[in-house]
Amino acid sequence: MDLDMIQDAFDRVAKKQKLSSSKIQELIDQVGREIEQATAKLQMTENATGCSDPKSILVDLKTKLNEIAPMKQLESLQKELNVGLGKYVKILEKCFNPDISRAYRNVDFDVNIVNQIIASHFYRQGLFDLGDCFISEANEPEAAALKSPFMEMYSILEAMRCRNLEPALSWASKQSERLMQNGSDLELKLHQLQFVEILQNGSRSEALNYARTYLTPFASVHKVEIQKLIACLLWAGRLHESPYADFMYPSHWERLAEEFMQQFCSLLGQSFQSPLSVAIAAGVQGLPTLLKLESVMAAKKQEWLAMKQLPVPVDLGREFQFHSIFVCPVLREQGSDENPPMLMPCGHVVSKQSIAKLSKSSTRAFKCPYCPQEASVAQCKLLHF
Amino acid sequence: MDMAIDSAPNGDASSSPAVPPATAAAAAAPPAPTTRLAQLAESLKLEYQFVRVPLEHLKKTMRTNYRLAEKEVAAVLSSVAEAVDRSDAMSRDDALTHLSSLVSRLQSLKRKLEEGSRVENLQAQRCRARLEHLDSVADADKFAEWKDVRLTRILVDYMLRMSYYDTAKKLAETSKIQELVDIDVFLEAKKVIDSLRNKEVAPALAWCAENKSRLKKSKSKLEFQLRLQEFIELVRADEKLRAVSYARKYLAPWAAAYTKELQHAMATLAFRHNTECSTYKDVFDSSQWDCLVEQFKQEFCRLFGMTNEPLLNIYLQAGLTALKTPLCYKEACRKEDPLSQEGFRKLAEPLPFSKLHHSKLVCYITKELMDHENPPLVLPNGYVYSTKALEEMAGKNEGKITCPRTGEVCSFTDLIKAYIS
Repeated sequence: MDLDMIQDAFDRVAKKQKLSSSKIQELIDQVGREIEQATAKLQMTENATGCSDPKSILVDLKTKLNEIAPMKQLESLQKELNVGLGKYVKILEKCFNPDISRAYRNVDFDVNIVNQIIASHFYRQGLFDLGDCFISEANEPEAAALKSPFMEMYSILEAMRCRNLEPALSWASKQSERLMQNGSDLELKLHQLQFVEILQNGSRSEALNYARTYLTPFASVHKVEIQKLIACLLWAGRLHESPYADFMYPSHWERLAEEFMQQFCSLLGQSFQSPLSVAIAAGVQGLPTLLKLESVMAAKKQEWLAMKQLPVPVDLGREFQFHSIFVCPVLREQGSDENPPMLMPCGHVVSKQSIAKLSKSSTRAFKCPYCPQEASVAQCKLLHF
Repeated sequence: MDMAIDSAPNGDASSSPAVPPATAAAAAAPPAPTTRLAQLAESLKLEYQFVRVPLEHLKKTMRTNYRLAEKEVAAVLSSVAEAVDRSDAMSRDDALTHLSSLVSRLQSLKRKLEEGSRVENLQAQRCRARLEHLDSVADADKFAEWKDVRLTRILVDYMLRMSYYDTAKKLAETSKIQELVDIDVFLEAKKVIDSLRNKEVAPALAWCAENKSRLKKSKSKLEFQLRLQEFIELVRADEKLRAVSYARKYLAPWAAAYTKELQHAMATLAFRHNTECSTYKDVFDSSQWDCLVEQFKQEFCRLFGMTNEPLLNIYLQAGLTALKTPLCYKEACRKEDPLSQEGFRKLAEPLPFSKLHHSKLVCYITKELMDHENPPLVLPNGYVYSTKALEEMAGKNEGKITCPRTGEVCSFTDLIKAYIS
């Protein structure tokens, strides 16, 4: 899109607008001056008798005003301005898509659900006042379900920002088992950070005590890390000179804060990113294709509204790829439980139905459609992505 | 694309810690700059409303100012003409007072126009700010922030259309995007909407009069319907004579265009408001007022170049269509997919499924796309993972691979490369 061109076009409109309004002011001044001159003439008649009477002065004024023709001038100014505006609107209509609701299906979007999604989005972003304001204005008291868990998350994060790990540690120890199931070593990482803090500020014995109490339970699974950490004891108070200086990087705090948020959301059954922003971002990427599709199908509005699957792919970026979708290259259909992907001995993959066709219902060996190698149904292997 | 700069939650940046890019996604190769730019250009084309609404607002102010100037100057001119006509009977002092009143009238017009052109300049400034904001999308470093602002704009639009004005204002203030949203435009609509909810027609009619020529051009039915409602209210109050004279004055001019509706309405004269006759019962129903509110909103949005639906609904519907696959509805659906959540699933129910022409496979372990650079490998049990994930696992476990889903163990050398087109 040529934004520079649009900006220039707008500048022209704005210039015209300024010019026009100063011309209007001038015009009013001009009319005003004529009237004032007439006034002055009238006043002069007071002293000099025999001068023209009020009537002739007024007639004079009328003629002069008619000569200026202010109404005509105003009209032509307005006309000129409208022409400029019209041109600019045309440019906008050409450069932008004037109606992005064309591809919209008129289905009922349940307002309560949308509002709940929005409220959760606000709470997830830590915008608690806003969430409360929204819930009361939209009258959706049930939409506050995620408020208190996210408040907990943000208060733990706030404490972490002030280098206080206590709330995070107490949360992690409560969730210890579930974290482990998730394959997360967040708890260890929190203890590690705490241990390094103690080592930096406190005494060696305090750090040793801490390690004995909190780090040893992890020793069997995280042998190497624990060994390194204990070795840090040798450098108490001057860790920055040690080979383990990287334990002190402030970036550990940031990274851990993020990991904490991820785990917190995950245990809450939520994704790390706001699902609303993901869905809207996908919409921004997908909408241009849908609009094009709609304009191609404009003649078949019914078909557009009734279709169960889009006729063309909408390409989304890889951040929106949440599932493994297998499309059989022979049948051009998406795989399913009934028609799963099968690996042939040559390494090529097609769907089960394709193999059934190629092998005439498993009655004979067949040639791979992509290479010269032969295969039998028995040699094909069901794949799980 | 752009997951790397996309993962920070938006909104309240001041109270939440700075969030570095998600590590898994950062590893994904950045997209080619040309596709990024092409995609950006496509997404900017969707921003018609964003640039059109402030322009319409500016045009409206310009029209008002022009009309004021036109009206006042015409009045001064005709007043001079009138003075000429009366001048025989006019004393000199009368003439002087008359002229000085005209001068002060012009002066007050000038002051009003100065104020008006100040408003025009502010509104022109806003038009320009919008274009500049669109232009700033090209700044790759600030793109994450830009996208957050886009979402906030969409949310403010939703709040305004749903008449959640306080939330709209608060959201715009906390995100400091007042210039980028149209709260003031909607506040004009609010007056009319509120009055319609109070069953008052006058402000809505005044709005129609203000925008008469444009409503006529778009063949709007709104004014007729407002008049109809006023007529019905008179019938409801049993003021039949007044109702008839009202109809003569205000409904008759629409007779040619809306014959059927007019006849239908006139027939109510034969009924009382508590009639059980179903054909006329609806006409007296108070839900007619809600219809008027909806209708006014539609006309209002159209005049300002806005979409009929809230932007949020449009984008949400497009996004859910693009994301919807049969796999979203399975139990194993990943939490990262919005469609793993009940609310989004319900919204997506009436929408079609998306379509793929080619396989897109995501590694179960790393969640990364399996493609030519990171091809899929098959375990003897038929489970497939990405090369990267399995190489890493083998490296850590002396060449042993443990299937994370079945627990079966095999050697890295047992793996077979799968070719998927």
